[in-house]
Order: sequence, then structure tokens, then C-alpha cells
Amino acid sequence: MSRLSGKVALVTGGRGGIGRAICARFAEEGATVIAADLSEQGSVGSEAEGSFVRLDVTSEDEAKAAMTQVSEDHGKLDILVNAAGVEIEKTIEDTTLDEWNRIFAINVTGTFLTSKHALPLMRTAAKDSDGGASIVNFGSYDGFIADPQLAAYCATKGAVHALTRAMACDHGPDGIRVNAICPGFVDTPMLASFFSGGDQGAAMSAAARTEAENVHPMRTIGTPRDMANLVLWLASDEARYASGQLWVLDGGLSAQVQQMRL
Amino acid sequence: MTARLAGKSALVTGGRQGIGRGIAEAFLAEGAQVHVCGRGNGNDKPEGVIWHQADVSSAASVAELGPAVGEIDILVNNAGVQVEKTVVDSTDADWELIMGANARGVFNCCRAFIPKMTTGSIINIGSISGNVADPSMALYNASKSFVHGLTRSIAVDHGPSIRCNAICPGWIETGMLEAGFALAQDPEKARSDALARHAVRRFGRPSDIASLAVWLASDESGFATGQLFTIDGGMTAASPLQPGLF
Repeated sequence: MSRLSGKVALVTGGRGGIGRAICARFAEEGATVIAADLSEQGSVGSEAEGSFVRLDVTSEDEAKAAMTQVSEDHGKLDILVNAAGVEIEKTIEDTTLDEWNRIFAINVTGTFLTSKHALPLMRTAAKDSDGGASIVNFGSYDGFIADPQLAAYCATKGAVHALTRAMACDHGPDGIRVNAICPGFVDTPMLASFFSGGDQGAAMSAAARTEAENVHPMRTIGTPRDMANLVLWLASDEARYASGQLWVLDGGLSAQVQQMRL
Repeated sequence: MTARLAGKSALVTGGRQGIGRGIAEAFLAEGAQVHVCGRGNGNDKPEGVIWHQADVSSAASVAELGPAVGEIDILVNNAGVQVEKTVVDSTDADWELIMGANARGVFNCCRAFIPKMTTGSIINIGSISGNVADPSMALYNASKSFVHGLTRSIAVDHGPSIRCNAICPGWIETGMLEAGFALAQDPEKARSDALARHAVRRFGRPSDIASLAVWLASDESGFATGQLFTIDGGMTAASPLQPGLF
């Protein structure tokens, strides 16, 4: 069964840890997939499903150019996934203004700019679809509760949550659904960086990873494909009544209070 | 100091010990007349309160309590019990005990006393455990979610004359907390680990809850209704991961 047949999807951060899994999942279900990222290889360093369009989400010119290309190639956009994002492992005291502005530019402004310029193409798509067009933003469970030394990241994700609800209100009447998925711990290069204390490129600390896994009711951290499966549902017509919601997918991590070692 | 609850009459259920006692004492200090009810004879009741023997889980007992207490301005539904069990291990008797006190008790008292409140404030004691789960506390957690839901319903149905809010305490130094640590393999280690998970690096005290209860009982909080106010030293603002893991 092809759950996305006939649909055109663009995934920002489409060559990153979770983004490439979404591209692959969408392609499996028959979508025409466009991976938008800074480079063809992305942070994971290999090629993947879907055609590629260069997109720095902080650049309005590049957002316009990417959508012009989608328009020329496909004439519409059914699905937009705003998966591009970065994190900074610092408290606010250690965060410079430049770092603060950069993470907001990517995580928040990027979601704004890409969505803004995708909307005309999505309106077109929504007219011919039973389930409407679907935008899936990337929030985080860190937008609800804090992990230590992720202050700016937590703040950007809180902003994405609020933006998600606002966009759902504004564009629902045009048949455009807007939701956010809020991942917990997912096995990605970003998480490896977090486990190694923010030292980019260092090996993931196996002990820290095991500790973290054991705190989860599911006793494991998530995979990019776990995320992709929820994004797929939200993108598909099955989710035609789902809008304006924040979908936490964290293996039960945030369902519990702090886990005492008793 | 101005007495912030002067001229007001309050009923605190389960006010003999722990959080309820802290609230009863704070209300007295702010000039309220304070009725306290409990299942016992009240031998060790807080000084200055009017004691009533009552079992909130029994509608008949609460019906008798009504005329004895009379009209009130403030109702604090604090009486509650906890049992440390999963769903599978919980017996029908556990259900009766927990849901009887924590859920039906709050319902019984609200039903009996709302008609006796011309205007006023109802303060229910919910819990952080009504929002996120404590392990092996299944019925307790669920009973507190009931309290949260009922809180909103009462606020909606019985405003504007009656305001209704819930306080959601975190780990407060009471007999309940000590009972939790006593279950640990290494109670001292469990205690220090738990402390590290609180941004304020201490557990709560009944007085921390009482100070919020005073505010919610007073006219200062006249616009607050239908809300759940968490007071937990920052514990649930942080993720459930082990502190110092990273």
C-alpha cells in the first residue's frame, strides 16, 4: 500500500539524522521526495533517497529559490517537514549572542521562512487532496521540560511549539494542517554530540547512552525511523483531522517523574 | 501584619498531619477560623482548630459534617492516602481505599460544601503525580488526575462565586516521603539522589504548600481559578534523566 502516492514532499535537513530517515520512509510510501539541505551528503555523509535541493533555511533567498524549483518541477507541495535543526550544549551564561542568534535562525526562523514560502504551493496541493496539505515541524520534548545545558535549544523548541499552533490556526481554513513532532532521545549525530558533552566528533559515551536508555520506560532510545513513522502518519491523509498538536515521541521518558534510583 | 484571611472560615480535610496540618496552621496565623476533620479523635490536632471526626470517603459521614461545620469560605480537600502498587498488584480493597479517599472524598466534600459557600475558594491537593507518573503508584497517580479534572469542572460550573484550583505538590517532607525512602535499598543514597534532582536542592515543606494555599484562599487570588499550580522545587521542570549523567 502506498500511503503517500501522488504526493510531493519537501524535507528540510533532509540529509541529516532524522531527515534522511523521513525521506526514505516517504519514498517507500510512494511520495515524490525532495531533500533540502546544505549539502547533498549532509551531516551523515552519504547519499540517500529523493532528489536534492540546496537550502540554507536561514536564507530567505534560498527558501524562495527552493520553492521556485519545486513549483517548476511539480507545481505543488503536499508535505513540508521542517526537520533542519541544531543544538548548542551550553547554559545561557556560556552562550554568546552570535550562537543564540544562529540557533534561533536555524530552528525558528528556518521553520518560519521555509513554511512562509511553501504556503502558496501547499494551498494548491490542498485543493486536490482529501487530507489537505500537511506541515510537520520539529519541536522537542525539551520544549516542555529542560535538559541541563541546552538552554537556547530548549527555548527554540518552545518557540516552534507556539508557532505550530499559530500556523495551524491561520492556515487550517486553507486545508493546511500543521503539527509538530516532539522527539525525545533519538539515535542521531546530534545525540552523539550531546552524549560526548558537546565535543563535536568525539565518540558517543557508551556508559552515558546506557544510562539514558535505562531511564526510558521502553528501555531504549528512539531511531530515526521511529520518528519517520509518526511523520509519515501526520503527512498522510489518515491524519486529516490532526492539526495544531504537539506529538511527543520519546519512549515514555516524559510520562514519568524524575526516576529515583531506589 | 494584616491578617489576610480575617473573617473567613475554612475547612481543611485531613489536617491533623503533614501538608494539611501546615495549611491549617497557616490559615490560623492569617486570622481564619479553621475547621479540621479526620478519621481519628483529634487528640493531636493543631492548636486552635475546631476538630470534627469524619471520613471523607463516606457520603453519610460528610453529610453529618456539613451541619457541624456550617457555612465556610474556604474548603481545602487535602485528605488523601497512597499505596505503592502497580495496577496488576492492586486489590479491590486498594481501589476502595485510594479512590475512596482521594477521589470520592473530594467529590463528597465539594458536593456537600459548595451549597454552603456563598462565595469562596476551593483548594484541592492534586499532585505532580497526576501529571506525570511515579512508578508503582498507579491508583494514586490516577486518583490525582481525577482531582485535576474535577478542579477544572468545579471552576467552570460554579464560578464566578466559587473559585477552584489545585495545588500539585512535589516531594514534601512528610510521612509519605519517608515511607518512600524507607522502601529503598539504600535510603540515604536515595535521599541524596532525589535531592540532586531538585533545582532548589531541598525537598518541600508543608509550609511551602501552605503559603500557596493562603494565597489561593485569600482575595488576592481573585482572578485565579481552574488551574493546577505545581510547587515542586523545580523537579518536573527538568527531564527525568539522572543528574550528572552528562
